[in-house]
Amino acid sequence: MTQGANVNGTFKFFECFAIIRLTGRRASDILEFLEILKTISTESIFHHMHQYFLKPHIIPPEFPNDFAVWTAETLGEQNLAEALANVNPFEFGDIEALRAELVRIITEHLKRYPPPRPALPGREFLFNEGVTIVLPTGIEAARLHDFVRALKEVDSSSVYFHFYEARLRLGKEQDDFTQFLDSCLDCPGLAGRIKSLDPYMYSTEVLRAKIIRLIEEAL
Amino acid sequence: MNIEDYKGIAEEGDLRAIRALAGRLAGKKMLHVNSTAEGGGVAELLQRIVPLLKNLGLDVRWEVLKGTRPFFEVTKSIHNSLQGKGVHITRQMWDEYESVNRKNAEAIDLDADCAVIHDPQPALFIEYKKRGTWLWRCHIDISMPDRVTWYFLKNIVEKFDGSIFSVSNFAQTVSIPQFMMQPSIDPLSEKNIELSEEEIARTFEKFKVPMDKPILLQVSRFDPFKDPLGVIDSFRLVRKYHDCRLVLAGGTATDDPEGERVLNEVLEKAGEDPDIHILLVPPFSDRDINALQRGASIVLQKSTKEGFGLVVAESLWKRKPVIGGDAGGIPLQIIEGVTGYLIHSVEGAAYRIRQLLENPDHAKKMGEAAREHIRRNFLITTNIRNYLSIWLALEHKGEKVIYI
Repeated sequence: MTQGANVNGTFKFFECFAIIRLTGRRASDILEFLEILKTISTESIFHHMHQYFLKPHIIPPEFPNDFAVWTAETLGEQNLAEALANVNPFEFGDIEALRAELVRIITEHLKRYPPPRPALPGREFLFNEGVTIVLPTGIEAARLHDFVRALKEVDSSSVYFHFYEARLRLGKEQDDFTQFLDSCLDCPGLAGRIKSLDPYMYSTEVLRAKIIRLIEEAL
Repeated sequence: MNIEDYKGIAEEGDLRAIRALAGRLAGKKMLHVNSTAEGGGVAELLQRIVPLLKNLGLDVRWEVLKGTRPFFEVTKSIHNSLQGKGVHITRQMWDEYESVNRKNAEAIDLDADCAVIHDPQPALFIEYKKRGTWLWRCHIDISMPDRVTWYFLKNIVEKFDGSIFSVSNFAQTVSIPQFMMQPSIDPLSEKNIELSEEEIARTFEKFKVPMDKPILLQVSRFDPFKDPLGVIDSFRLVRKYHDCRLVLAGGTATDDPEGERVLNEVLEKAGEDPDIHILLVPPFSDRDINALQRGASIVLQKSTKEGFGLVVAESLWKRKPVIGGDAGGIPLQIIEGVTGYLIHSVEGAAYRIRQLLENPDHAKKMGEAAREHIRRNFLITTNIRNYLSIWLALEHKGEKVIYI
């Protein structure tokens, strides 16, 4: 579980935001993209697969990760974009395994189809990283009904942090919520139902609503 | 002016983050250095950010480099060259640049825990660094710089602890950490606060611009990269279909000697056309600019090169759809077809103006989305949060998750 999230059976909610660090590496076609993808930092891959969930959107992009959006919008390669969008990072133990899958998908695509058009100048893919700044919210819960009340109250970045960031970036087997419900509140069934959600299909707000509904049903 | 004044306007999460970060950094010394106290986006930003940071408990100073006219000619050439407009910077010009930087750096107290040096003009202050974290804040588009000019500037920039760019695309391959930080507008400044209809009407009357038909507005310095001549061409194409007015309002900054020449070209092109209004607006006319933006039907920012183009955010905040050039930070502010339109030509601008003039309901809907987009992403509170975070991140080098 994330540092400080569970203290003596009390769940402490954190919230977060990210500042963007630029790597200066850019790809103007799919081959450059593939080469950079093989060596870019795991932080960059995490950032581009997840910033959708942390960033507020007026109109959400068509796909929830930057790789799929660039492939569709800039390269015009819809079928590759769909394959990249369909990747669920939670299926992989770590970001290296996720990287291998992304590389495999693009390599397979290049074997089957001619390479897509290059990006127009100014539309290159720019590889960035996020630095996450984490803040205590002062909100905590030790019982299930307090937990669900707190979950309604916290900023959506808190859901993002304890769910996506804790599990994949910090290399945990479970997200913070599932682990707390399972180990501290002895609710393995509920934890299992939350763990089986498909979080890459919705915005963080929708994910929050789904978790709340599952807990309220359990209560 | 206090951060709590932004309650109910800015994102609550940003305010909580600012309070926590300020708690960590309270009492520390922060120094900002730029090259103009008035005119242009950087000075405007600093005028608002510095008092807010002070009120958060930081010991903040803002120093302005004092340049000579030859120095500003040189830095304008460096600026243009970095924006890809090939100007060769001679040895003599670099000497002038070094000399003015040295004299200023020796005259200013550079002791700070965090020094933020804005743009190339005072970048050589880094040679006089005493201690602390030094950041080079680049507000201009250097995505396609003249290679020789960039080679020399890069040698200076790499002596900083970190750099900040307004748009990812401006990043270069340098050996120091680079961060992205979009600039912002202050919803409580004279330039952006709500105004009454009466005040807006009085302002138009003062500038002798009748509000009898739709008004197209571009607010910008008279600078070739803002393409005011192209705006006049677009207006003339639109007027075949719509009776409307064009207002070009702008000033010239003290570090921009080219402005006068461009203004004369614009005046010549406008000729005696009674529907084209060229307004030379002096510095500190923020309330007038506010009123002009609020009274306009459509706002244009037809830049061919742009740093960030804060004026776009200002207009979007006032619920105006903006038609802007696909340059610099403009595409971050204009979501195509949602908050305005991105254009690439005189004809493109004309077409989109016609489209919005024909569909005022659609323009109104866009205006609402525009305001929310700015509220979530481009307010001064986010900017303050990011300055403090980047400072903290550089004090925790190598850490990707930082707990406050």
